[in-house]
Amino acid sequence: MDAPLLVVKDLKTYFYLSKGVLKAVDGVSLTINKNQVFCLVGETGCGKSVTALSITRLIFYPGKIVGGSIIYEGKDLLKLPENEMRKIRGKEIAMIFQSPMKSLNPVFNIGYQISEAPIVHFNLKHGEAWKQAIELIGKVKMPDPEMRAKSYPHVLSGGMRQRSMIAMMISCEPKLLIADEPTTALDVTVQAQIMDLLLDIKRRSSMSIMLITHNFGLVAERGDEVAVMYSGKVVEGGSVKDVFNEPLHPYTQGLLRCIPVGFERKTEIDYIPGTLSSPINPPVGCRFHPRCKYATEKCIKEEPKLMEIKKNHIVACHLCGG
Amino acid sequence: MQNFLLKVEELKKYFPVKKGIFAKPSYVKAVDDINFHINKSETLGLVGESGSGKTTVGLLILRLIDPTSGRIFFDGVNITDLSQKKLMKFRKRMSIVFQDPLSSLNPRMTVKETLKRPLVTHGLKNEEENIARIIEILEMVGLGKEHLARYPHELSGGQQQRVAVARAIILNPELVVLDEPTSSLDVSVQAQILNLLLKLQRELNLTYLFITHDLVTVRHVSDKIAVMYLGKIVEVAETDELFSNTMHPYTAALLSAAPIPRPEAKDVERFVVSGEPPSPINPPVGCRFHPRCKYATEKCIKEEPKLMEIKKNHTVACHRAKEIDISSYARKLWEILMAKT
Amino acid sequence: MKTESVKGTFLKKLETKSMFKLTRLKEFLLLLLHYKVSCIGLCIVMGIIILAIFAPIIAPKHYAEIDVPNKLQPPSLAHPFGTDALGRDIFSRVVYGAQIALWVGLLVVLVEASIGISLGIIAGYFNGKIDKIISASADIVWSFPTVVLALGVVMVLGPGITQVVIAIAVTSWPGFTRITRAKVQSMVNREFVLAARAIGESDLNIMLRYLLPNITSTILVLATLTLPSAIISTTALSFLGFGAQPPTPDWGAMLSEGASQLVIAPWVATFPGIFIVITALGFNLLGDGLRDLLDPKLKI
Repeated sequence: MDAPLLVVKDLKTYFYLSKGVLKAVDGVSLTINKNQVFCLVGETGCGKSVTALSITRLIFYPGKIVGGSIIYEGKDLLKLPENEMRKIRGKEIAMIFQSPMKSLNPVFNIGYQISEAPIVHFNLKHGEAWKQAIELIGKVKMPDPEMRAKSYPHVLSGGMRQRSMIAMMISCEPKLLIADEPTTALDVTVQAQIMDLLLDIKRRSSMSIMLITHNFGLVAERGDEVAVMYSGKVVEGGSVKDVFNEPLHPYTQGLLRCIPVGFERKTEIDYIPGTLSSPINPPVGCRFHPRCKYATEKCIKEEPKLMEIKKNHIVACHLCGG
Repeated sequence: MQNFLLKVEELKKYFPVKKGIFAKPSYVKAVDDINFHINKSETLGLVGESGSGKTTVGLLILRLIDPTSGRIFFDGVNITDLSQKKLMKFRKRMSIVFQDPLSSLNPRMTVKETLKRPLVTHGLKNEEENIARIIEILEMVGLGKEHLARYPHELSGGQQQRVAVARAIILNPELVVLDEPTSSLDVSVQAQILNLLLKLQRELNLTYLFITHDLVTVRHVSDKIAVMYLGKIVEVAETDELFSNTMHPYTAALLSAAPIPRPEAKDVERFVVSGEPPSPINPPVGCRFHPRCKYATEKCIKEEPKLMEIKKNHTVACHRAKEIDISSYARKLWEILMAKT
Repeated sequence: MKTESVKGTFLKKLETKSMFKLTRLKEFLLLLLHYKVSCIGLCIVMGIIILAIFAPIIAPKHYAEIDVPNKLQPPSLAHPFGTDALGRDIFSRVVYGAQIALWVGLLVVLVEASIGISLGIIAGYFNGKIDKIISASADIVWSFPTVVLALGVVMVLGPGITQVVIAIAVTSWPGFTRITRAKVQSMVNREFVLAARAIGESDLNIMLRYLLPNITSTILVLATLTLPSAIISTTALSFLGFGAQPPTPDWGAMLSEGASQLVIAPWVATFPGIFIVITALGFNLLGDGLRDLLDPKLKI
């Protein structure tokens, strides 16, 4: 069994606001293996984006990574000095975001932007980097790469901008690509193309992808492993097949039932009552208990730990033998 | 005997694009000659991607923008050219809910004021009666008196959308246009709002035009679905029929691309379509979909197909609808969608 | 970015030092106080306002009290700012002058804002021809130096404080119009305006109830930053003899009177001059601070 690529253990990232301490990520543990599509799924406010930013250490004031470890290739990323981290960011671990328009620099053409990382990390000369950029534009299946390289972001469509971002991020052949809602802003047909592209790149260069999304369809169709987050914690994790076919945590079950699939049209959809509790003052015990119809005394008092209930299927719930 | 609440004929909306003093005027053909109708108490789903013109259709129906040409009939009356004054009568009878609840509410008005405005604008000035009506509506949408004094930014996304829905139904309309009402909400909140919309439709006998790009949602709420591509309607059918007997290649592509939350869906063969939706400024000649369609022929490149009834109550705009069979792609996905866990 | 870190450091210290709940208002005031620039501005403005309100108490003598034997005295205990050519106590005149400066400044801004904002909202909302006419007018008026144009108006209307107010307001409104128009244009296609039209709200109602309330923070900032230029323009006109007539203790007029004695008795012109500068500075600093807090995207 190959060693895992990235192991996050008990990660804690807090934001110090005037209203109080926002515990965005409060003890998250996950394992990403090589050559895998790992999905981090959850609703708004669960802390999935913050987890991704913590891995690349892009957390700025008033946020702070206050605990845990992130082991990558034997090194704890949280203990590395910034200049070492910079060598890893972009080169070994890359990240693409939701709004490509906001992530691309509007005043440089994309050929230039795609060349930036190789120039920094590999000390390539401009000419070579430019040639490589054109190659990459071809790899992300944009027509007429030589012409495209000279285009500016504002003339490109959403799908093409996202492809440019992908080209930028794979320019150094990273081992892990973190994709934070990469297709949410795109049309459905373009979404399918982008996901096909990402998976194609993964296959060809043995890259792992950490896909962060709130879209369960994407997870079901493209993911290998999934971790469900709620209120800063991982509540369930395992292979996509296991978690979808046999969800153990009441939250996962509730979420899957929310999607109007598998029952008659125009009937009432089963939903999870209540709303996400304030991340500044989360409830004591299991964070989901105020909305859980199975909550017991123990759930109100004691926080459940992540336990492996079945092979490779972890849950944090007292009622699942946790 | 027609039962249409809304009928749209040959509706067109072209937006002029200024290019320069000497350039030839060009137009964004956002909506280009569409025809459809909605029966009373029915939900018509309008599906399409960006650039399809679906949002423009919603705005046209409510006369928030004026059509370039064509006719809009509401309950038999031609409202296309009515003056704003005469339109006021109809404004009571139709309303709209937008996609982003936060930007559809005035940030400086409390919930009470937001809900009072429609009443006052239409002549209902009795304060006591208004408050009673407002509280009644709030309870109908799942909120309460305690929300009266709140500002939009003090509410959650779901609550904001409930206020927007309340505003849309407070005058007892007959038609409600829903423009992506759940697209910017979380999955669990989406479910709540969809339930609310279905409940209100039953209790108040509402007719919906449900505009969205999300096929799973539209399947759940619609009786009939119309698919739009680049300003034109390419297929119309009852929901089950559309999914199980898809006829237009674009519809098949759309259904294929929609991610379905079932791991089994991974193994189904997809109808892949290449390229991206072209700009609606200079749509392709002939069938607008032909550059991306693998079944395109000479005829498709030259001649625009018209919407024709191929099967009962199932119209398609495709020259080759009778020859090609693409229903198998969507049908497999459809069966997965329908399978109970 | 510097603001963020200043804000951030301060709030961090507060968070770690004490656990008290900061309500929004408290947070706002505390930030205003801590952000040194706006604090200084606030202090200056408060100081000038106090001078203006309590002038009769603070000023030892009436501003028109003549004491010719003691004319052109340098600053002393009896006359902290000295006396002018007619023996009037300059300190008292400066203090009373604060009333005029603030009052006139406020009036100018009010008139200017009323004209400017109304035109701005109309231009931004209706677009098309109306917008072109208003924008063109604004551009034309704006390209004239305020004082020159105001001079022209005053020549027609005659001298006097009211006339000066009208003159300056009528030539400076484009500042408000431009910003209001830009803000309105960004809002007019937002969904809440569309929703208002869908309900059937009249254009007037939309402008008053939907657009106007959402630009108040922008207007507040703009008004605070326009006040100093209003004060300076009025003092300029007064300096040229078109504004306040003697014995009104208008700072500009005092500058003018003191100009001829600059070598023999520099204090006659210097003190009013200093106060003009300090007042303008105070409002500018306060306005800057307000802008950073309320409407950070607005960079004038």
